[in-house]
Amino acid sequence: MAKIKLDDSLYERAQRAAQIAGYSGVEEFVAHCVENEIKRLKTDETEGPVADQLRGLGYIE
Amino acid sequence: MSALNSEIVIVSGLPRSGTSLMMQMLDRGGLPVVTDQLRQPDPDNPRGYYEYELVKKIKTDVSWLPATRGKAFKMVSQLLYHLPDNERYRILIMERDLNEMLDSQEKMLRRLGQAVAPREVIRPAFESHLQNLHAWLDRQTHMRVLRMGYSQLVTNPDPSIRAVGDFLGIDLDSVAMRQSIDPALYRNRQSRSETGPAL
Repeated sequence: MAKIKLDDSLYERAQRAAQIAGYSGVEEFVAHCVENEIKRLKTDETEGPVADQLRGLGYIE
Repeated sequence: MSALNSEIVIVSGLPRSGTSLMMQMLDRGGLPVVTDQLRQPDPDNPRGYYEYELVKKIKTDVSWLPATRGKAFKMVSQLLYHLPDNERYRILIMERDLNEMLDSQEKMLRRLGQAVAPREVIRPAFESHLQNLHAWLDRQTHMRVLRMGYSQLVTNPDPSIRAVGDFLGIDLDSVAMRQSIDPALYRNRQSRSETGPAL
């Protein structure tokens, strides 16, 4: 399994957030955050052209 | 109309999916609609857009929303994500063959002098948008959704009109609703039968 490095203060904040949110540990919390971000970016890839089209048609600002 | 007094009716979908037609039908059927008529009728929508400018500001301003309880407004599908969850909504989603919608959108973009995205880019983007949207709508407990096919509405309106009345739980003037439909305005029709967008 790959390992990643986090700044100490970010790790501590992630630990506290994971505890408050009820994660089993900081690793589960970080994995969940990364999953969510990947999903969001994939959504943005497709929502970008949709937004451009809707803006061109005058349906969004 | 009492059953709907605490809920907000939204007509949604992608541009050129028949949302203006549905708004017109609800209006003539007796449901109060929220529109400022700022966007005037044009060759793309000769009977008007039934839009409300504040809808476009939903990301930053929801103060106008409570005043729309018991009424209907139109909102393009991408903005549905920004509706606050402290209201209850009944959402009519208009669906139409994706190629028909894109044909119509491209004509409208050209008329407006706007750039037209390549079909091989925009079609998968819209397909993905619709898939994500319906998956998201299924998880929203404060939203009830009725999906309505544009082609069926125009070519065989009675079942669709009954479905709208049942969904909203109110008595609408079905004769007036039917009279709103002008099959001549069903342009950009595909030669093959409509099956709706691939979802």
